[in-house]
Amino acid sequence: ASGGGGGGGGAGKMADKEKKKKESILDLSKYIDKTIRVKFQGGREASGVLKGFDPLLNLVLDGTIEYMRDPDDQYKLTEDTRQLGLVVCRGTSVVLICPQDGMEAIPNPFIQQQDG
Amino acid sequence: MAANATTNPSQLLPLELVDKCIGSRIHIVMKSDKEIVGTLLGFDDFVSILWWKCLRPEITPEGRRITKLDQILLNGNNITMLVPGGEGPEV
Repeated sequence: ASGGGGGGGGAGKMADKEKKKKESILDLSKYIDKTIRVKFQGGREASGVLKGFDPLLNLVLDGTIEYMRDPDDQYKLTEDTRQLGLVVCRGTSVVLICPQDGMEAIPNPFIQQQDG
Repeated sequence: MAANATTNPSQLLPLELVDKCIGSRIHIVMKSDKEIVGTLLGFDDFVSILWWKCLRPEITPEGRRITKLDQILLNGNNITMLVPGGEGPEV
């Protein structure tokens, strides 16, 4: 039984061709001039003040701090940080964007206590 | 190069910033542990290819090796960050 899923959200034909441009599912303009945290493919992380972006998710970050992940490092962020200043981040390698103060580290909830 | 009708025209567009770097020094960080510092000659629409006059690619401190190259074409597939005027981890 094929589900199909009819309806088709928002696929109506617009009279103006220029209205059919790609819409971002994430509105980054609300993060402008705010500090955000970005994670990249390959394990790099960076945080900085968002100064600009484009629909391809290329970002301009100011006062950027880069965190690198080593095998021993895991999620320790204070190791191997560097100040990069004004950078352009390639949208093709961005995997996560979140506000810097919108996240916190919690103890691992998946660790199971093994009663020996 | 039509101006995109973005939501916020007064912001700084990423590719504009890279464009301003043409002719000056830039530091590129790849997805892997490779970085390159050099003079930017140009790039294309996808930033998928950058033209470089490259001073040196550096490998991270584990096995530090500084290699000097004259002119290279860098595939932008693996580029993570571009730092205008950057000098890299070690001058």
